[in-house]
Amino acid sequence: MIGVTEFIDTVVRNQAFILRSTGRHLLICAAALLAGTAVAVPAGVLLSYHKKAAGAVLTVFSVINTVPSMVLLGAAMILFGLGVAPSVAVLFLYSLLPILRSTYTGITGIDPRYIKAASGMGMNRRQILLGVKLPLAAPSVISGVRLSAVYVISWATLAAFIGGGGLGDVIWIGLQSYNFHLVFCGAIPATVLALLVSWALNRVVRAVQKHVDGGVTS
Amino acid sequence: MAYGTNYVLKNIDLHIKEGQLAVLIGPSGCGKTTTLQLINRLISPVGGRIIVNGSDISAADPVQLRRNMGYVIQEIGLFPHMTIRRNIETVPRLLGWSRERQTARTLELLKLVGMDETYLDRYPSGLSGGQQQRIGLLRALAADPPIILMDEPFGALDPITRQSLQDEIMRLQKKLNKTVVFVTHDMDEALKIADVIILMKGGAIVQSAVPKELLRHPANEFVESFIGKRRTGSGTPETIGDVMSSRVICAGPGMSAVEAVDLMRREHVSSLFITDGDRRLLGQVTIADLQDAGLSGDPVLSEFTHTDIPALRLSDSARDAFSLMMHEHIDELPVLDDDGRIAGLVTRRSMVVSLARAVWQGDRRD
Repeated sequence: MIGVTEFIDTVVRNQAFILRSTGRHLLICAAALLAGTAVAVPAGVLLSYHKKAAGAVLTVFSVINTVPSMVLLGAAMILFGLGVAPSVAVLFLYSLLPILRSTYTGITGIDPRYIKAASGMGMNRRQILLGVKLPLAAPSVISGVRLSAVYVISWATLAAFIGGGGLGDVIWIGLQSYNFHLVFCGAIPATVLALLVSWALNRVVRAVQKHVDGGVTS
Repeated sequence: MAYGTNYVLKNIDLHIKEGQLAVLIGPSGCGKTTTLQLINRLISPVGGRIIVNGSDISAADPVQLRRNMGYVIQEIGLFPHMTIRRNIETVPRLLGWSRERQTARTLELLKLVGMDETYLDRYPSGLSGGQQQRIGLLRALAADPPIILMDEPFGALDPITRQSLQDEIMRLQKKLNKTVVFVTHDMDEALKIADVIILMKGGAIVQSAVPKELLRHPANEFVESFIGKRRTGSGTPETIGDVMSSRVICAGPGMSAVEAVDLMRREHVSSLFITDGDRRLLGQVTIADLQDAGLSGDPVLSEFTHTDIPALRLSDSARDAFSLMMHEHIDELPVLDDDGRIAGLVTRRSMVVSLARAVWQGDRRD
């Protein structure tokens, strides 16, 4: 019980710092994720028109995602210096693969009958993409964004190492000062954030899927 | 038309008249769907020309061309994320019609197939297969195109739904005066709905004819086998050709009487028709004639032949033949073609079979 009261004390004493770090954390993640979605969705669409190139591109990104994050963070620091920019850049890179892959598989997995009907009725390529392909692939695309979001939120704690700030700062300071209560003050919000965002986006996926299936829950 | 170096279609010379329901039929791989897709440029030909309403479509923008042709596919392909209304309004939307005009047209179309506005905001997944394809048909008709292309549209539906949709398309085609090009592999369907049937095989047209003509005069054995037992026709038998059996047992005048008895026994018949080398009818010999005379001295058939026997012509009326057989108690009558060659035999049995087929349509258990 002593541990709990001390933990609560730590939270109260550092609440401004924790809140500020949480806000920063969210900001970094949102920036990386938005940029990642803005790049990966169009790229995934492009790949769906070039199925031969798609395999190679997806492999390259799989390799990038296996590079240890410390190495990437180090490389980003050398390129961009310290601060928010290199953190966002690395998280952006990590966010690409899941969205790219889910966009590609979402579009290529569409039942060809819809494309056949659409082109047979005189829709051009753009109209087919915007009116048929993207709406039908939307649940898959958003699932990819959700997966990326969970990764990005947990990896963002490492951004503190290169001065990016966020909840990683709280954890890092806690570790350095042997203040494990402070470590939890960083770790718990990061975990809760990841779970919350995952849950929320899952709701979105299900709502969109329901719409795509024509209001019938499967 | 070629994929790789193999020509899929060869020398297709086809003219479809305005307002006709033309059915392309043939075994799978015969090129019927390819031919259909040439018309809306889903496939482009390597050579040759396709003229629609007087202009060569190779000069047309494929997207614009397709908006002027309805297209219905076997897989139906209603967009699952769109309501029935949005599905039907696909082409009018592409053409930029006003909302009021779209709505008015959609309601008019639904009424055409006996569906009401409660369907407007429903989604395809809530409809049965038959209802979905009705909407598929309306979607093709939405912008009132003069030509409708249908690629095995009813192939995935159960037989009862298929029949009612066949009735529907026949009714709509006549009412709206559309030119319909319809692909199927189901001969019953083709015979039922077609104004003209184009039978294809191996990328070429084998025969192009109105259904009756195809049934009466199949161009070759392939056509005959493809129409199968429907040879005597669907619908009411009208001429002798519709009610006769083509199984006639003939013999030459020089056949020995012993051989003839054996032939009759094997074929389970009680009489033989005597013909010359050209299958021209000379007369008839019955088993009774041979038994009465005895077979000593190995006589030949010409000695027993009745030469003055009644015969029918292919073009004679089936109804007259029926009355004749019933009133005169005749069991069988030979049928001659225009050159006096024997073409078949009308028996009480063949008559009954044909009438039964006309009454219980489509039942080919005989």
